[in-house]
Amino acid sequence: MQELDTVIELSRLQFAATALYHYLFVPLTLGFSVLLATMETIYVITGRDIYRQMTHFWSKLFAINFALGVATGLTMEFEFGTNWSTYSHFVGDIFGAPLAIEGLMAFFLESTFVGLMLFGWGKLSRGKHLLVTYMVALGSNLSALWILIANGYMQKPTGSAFNPDTMRMELTSLPDLIFSPEAQAKFVHTSIAGYVTAAIFVLGISAFYLLRRRHIELAKRSFRVAALFGVFASIGVISLGDALGFINGGAQPTKLAAMEGLWETAEAPAGFNLIAWPNQEEQRNDFEVQIPYLLTPLVTHTFDESIPGVNDLVAEAETRIRNGIPALSALQTLRENPTDAQARATFEAHQDDLGYALLVQRYVEDVSQATDAQIAKAAADTIPPVAPVFWSFRVMVATAFLMMAFLILAVIFSLRGTLHRHNWFLRLAPWMIPVPFIANEAGWVVAELGRQPWTVYGQLPTWLSASTHSVGYMIFSLTGFVLLYSLFIVVEMYLMVKFIRLGPSEGKHDAHADSVRQQHSSQWSEA
Amino acid sequence: MKQILLFLFWLLLAVVAIALTIVLGERGAWYFAWVLGTVMIVLIAAAGTAIIDARYDESHDDHY
Repeated sequence: MQELDTVIELSRLQFAATALYHYLFVPLTLGFSVLLATMETIYVITGRDIYRQMTHFWSKLFAINFALGVATGLTMEFEFGTNWSTYSHFVGDIFGAPLAIEGLMAFFLESTFVGLMLFGWGKLSRGKHLLVTYMVALGSNLSALWILIANGYMQKPTGSAFNPDTMRMELTSLPDLIFSPEAQAKFVHTSIAGYVTAAIFVLGISAFYLLRRRHIELAKRSFRVAALFGVFASIGVISLGDALGFINGGAQPTKLAAMEGLWETAEAPAGFNLIAWPNQEEQRNDFEVQIPYLLTPLVTHTFDESIPGVNDLVAEAETRIRNGIPALSALQTLRENPTDAQARATFEAHQDDLGYALLVQRYVEDVSQATDAQIAKAAADTIPPVAPVFWSFRVMVATAFLMMAFLILAVIFSLRGTLHRHNWFLRLAPWMIPVPFIANEAGWVVAELGRQPWTVYGQLPTWLSASTHSVGYMIFSLTGFVLLYSLFIVVEMYLMVKFIRLGPSEGKHDAHADSVRQQHSSQWSEA
Repeated sequence: MKQILLFLFWLLLAVVAIALTIVLGERGAWYFAWVLGTVMIVLIAAAGTAIIDARYDESHDDHY
């Protein structure tokens, strides 16, 4: 059992490492593609060459990020099969569908049009090139959509049912899966967070140019478009974050309790723990600073609902484990004799809590023999690690508000034409570039660590989901991934810095490209 | 003929948009909000940036 625990922890660590590395690239791609489309829209509408140069320059940085994002993302899809084979078997019917659609539809769309976008300058008319850029933006966001539909299922399983004959979850409704509130809120929140990431990235580099008085025409326009793009996105990401928290908090009260450091059920009107030091062992906060009355309306969107704390949630989990044990025992009978009507009836009566019984199987093979102590231990397992979830959530929220304030100032200075008088702001802007990346990573820590101990909430525990590799194999592959992905980060940083230092090639025109563009542009005008 | 085809293309696009709105509005309000929000962000950012050139044409102001 000890070796199995180590393998599970290493599998988790490997997935967390690859996912967090991968997610350094993803949000920039999501937002940058739409921001590029915005820049090119201005070029097509105004016909001014400066906007073509802008789009062309920023698309080089987009391409670097895109290539490395794809490279880091591909391995993750294989990881489900190699390291999480029980999980893949259990929910493959449901989880596999959106991943396959993502690969066939969105990723192919995105990858095909990325080539046309990067190499189509001068070969396609302005209108067609713009359409291609929008296709890249749509493709990259559709990729995210299907991945987040799959993730939304892990957060709150919908549109599926467990089949005791195949021992797997099976898809019962594709629309329910696609339109689940969890998937919807997760997608919009994640996508718009990508917009903010791209906006702050472009703002930071544009400010760097303005400060050095290089490429001023391009930089001031890039600054303006990114500031306006980002400020609306930042307002959106905070309001959508609230929506996601409301939906997710209802679906996963254990995550909500961890996010808010709630050990005891909080009666209305509850105070919001601005700062706290959660002590999981003693189930209390060693230290806390509260804002009175804020938590109840924030979390429940009412003024009179109570919010369940860890104490009640553990008690509820214990009841559900006890209720699920007959289902698991009946399932074992059905595996040997699928025609056993009594076992099937027992299973159907208790199947809603089957997942909870699987939690106690970690401590005892025959769950019908589980002791009170083992059940209590399994019930305590349903609470995720509180301190990391609590603090990741606060880092995400604090950085989101910091970015919104920064973007509001950027819009004010840019619209009033007073940026040149605020050198402190231009100096600050490049230092803001890492902030959205920190927020994005913290957000995923809340989402995934907060879902523990489940891979599929309430259905499949994490301890049961992993493959049965050896510890040596896991350490070897984990080390390999960390080294390879660190190399990717170094390559990305090197290429980004190189192209940023080189800057846009203002004024350097390709004569042939210009003549083709001219020709197509007149055709577009006639059309 | 070209004009008619263009008109039919935009007409088809409008019908698709209406159908999409009905489906998304009914089952996927957040997806619909994302579509609308993205379009709004793109248009406002584009218009707000294009103003730079309009102002520049009027005043030849070199400030940023």
